Amino acid sequence: MTGDRPLELVLLELTLLVLLGPLVTGAIQKMKARLQCRQGAGVLQPYRDLAKLLRKGTVQADTASGFFWAIPILVLASTVAAGALVPVARLGPPGFPLGDAVMLLGLLALARFLTAIGALDAGGAFGGMGASREMTVAPLVEPVLMMVVFSTAVAAGTTELGALAAHRGTSWFLAWRAADFLGFAAMLVLLPAETGRIPVDNPDTHLELTMLHEGMLLEHSGPGLGCMMLASHTRQIVTLGLVAALFFPVTPMGGSGALALLLGVGSFAVKVGVLVVFLALVESSYAKLRLFRVPQYLGVGFVCALVALALRIL
Amino acid sequence: MSSETVHAIIDDIGALLLFTMILIVAAGQIYRAIYAVAAQSLLIAIAAAVLAASTGNRDLWVIAGLTLGVKAIGLPWGLHVVVQRMNVRREVEPVIPIAATLALAVAIVVMAFQVSASLGPIRQAITGNALPVGIALTLTGVLVMATRRTALTQMVGLFASENGLFFTAMAVTQGMPLIIEIGVILDVILAALVMTIMVLRVRSTVDADIADLDRLRG
Repeated sequence: MTGDRPLELVLLELTLLVLLGPLVTGAIQKMKARLQCRQGAGVLQPYRDLAKLLRKGTVQADTASGFFWAIPILVLASTVAAGALVPVARLGPPGFPLGDAVMLLGLLALARFLTAIGALDAGGAFGGMGASREMTVAPLVEPVLMMVVFSTAVAAGTTELGALAAHRGTSWFLAWRAADFLGFAAMLVLLPAETGRIPVDNPDTHLELTMLHEGMLLEHSGPGLGCMMLASHTRQIVTLGLVAALFFPVTPMGGSGALALLLGVGSFAVKVGVLVVFLALVESSYAKLRLFRVPQYLGVGFVCALVALALRIL
Repeated sequence: MSSETVHAIIDDIGALLLFTMILIVAAGQIYRAIYAVAAQSLLIAIAAAVLAASTGNRDLWVIAGLTLGVKAIGLPWGLHVVVQRMNVRREVEPVIPIAATLALAVAIVVMAFQVSASLGPIRQAITGNALPVGIALTLTGVLVMATRRTALTQMVGLFASENGLFFTAMAVTQGMPLIIEIGVILDVILAALVMTIMVLRVRSTVDADIADLDRLRG
């Protein structure tokens, strides 16, 4: 099987994604703070948090089963595995059987499921509530993400992300067809839900009745909590990478040298940066929705994705 | 501009029109619906300008300007003023839940595409996706009118529906005679005036919205 991305490159991209994940969170938080006229913590704060958590000891609830300690490792592993499927530096299919966009969404869903199981296992009230809410939102988000992926996959004839991005070509915006606009709109609606941000979830609160994702992390501590946080940083950058691969593949294609790779990474950083600005603006300009209004909000994304598919197929 | 580019641009504008329509259906507040319908009219004006540039039809420039001035700026501004003056509840009051309306809107869009697909390759050659998009916009506008209680949101539905008709007529015929287009725009202005006056008068005399009128018995 021949492809454009050998194993070393995929491993390199994966490492890069995991290393840069916390930076994206830090950048969003910094920008949000500046928009709210606060000084805010530095962009490196998530790294410091992670380093601190890794040094701490672990405390576990008495009611938790023996499976509980493995949850953070499994969540981190499946999220990082999903990261391997996102093309960063170069487009085109990988040189070995790896998996496609459906696999990526499946791995993210698995991580979500394991997080919820862990929260229920520990037996805390907040954890159970967070888990039940997360499981209410997840079935609304995941099918719509699938539909957005399919609406672009129909045109490219493949669900492999690298090949999808390569099919998109380099003249990105001018090559957008009618369905892409609607698909992108659906993606923008879903993005805060998938990355756990306002208006669906609020990543800044702990011990409040509004939280979804953070509620599920309350029972974890020490390195386990560090793993969970790293997993949510990685999940965020993986989702942004998915959007970038589906909708703006402007990666310069030519050459295979170090310069071409650097250019690819640079353009990936620019694309993620644009999405980061979008997320920070949305977070600062909207209030969190009531939980019962969330289905209506996600319904807009669903309708957009469905109409995008209809435009492609009918 | 080649005709393929024009077709592609009209298709893209059609997709954006559908998006603004979804926003109108999903809007929980009157202001959002008004802004969405203003954006929709702006897109119609852009479509008219694109067609004018490609066909060299001078009337279409006039239409584009009129659409921009009247429907994208004038009427939304008027609605805005009325909402402010009336001091009504800012929330849209739907008859059936908004999620159900969204589902119906999806059914309408799919149906519009399905029906136009039966026209076969001729439709594709003449209009691209403009015909099904126009039909979907018109019917969804009617849906909005049917499922909202207050007169102001029904007016938004009327404007959206009219935008759909306008888009279809423009894209299919490459520009109708100027006199007809101006007549249509005058009709809309008249309808808006009548409805606004009625809403304001009804409210000032009996302090009720038209949703309460169904309890009147002769």
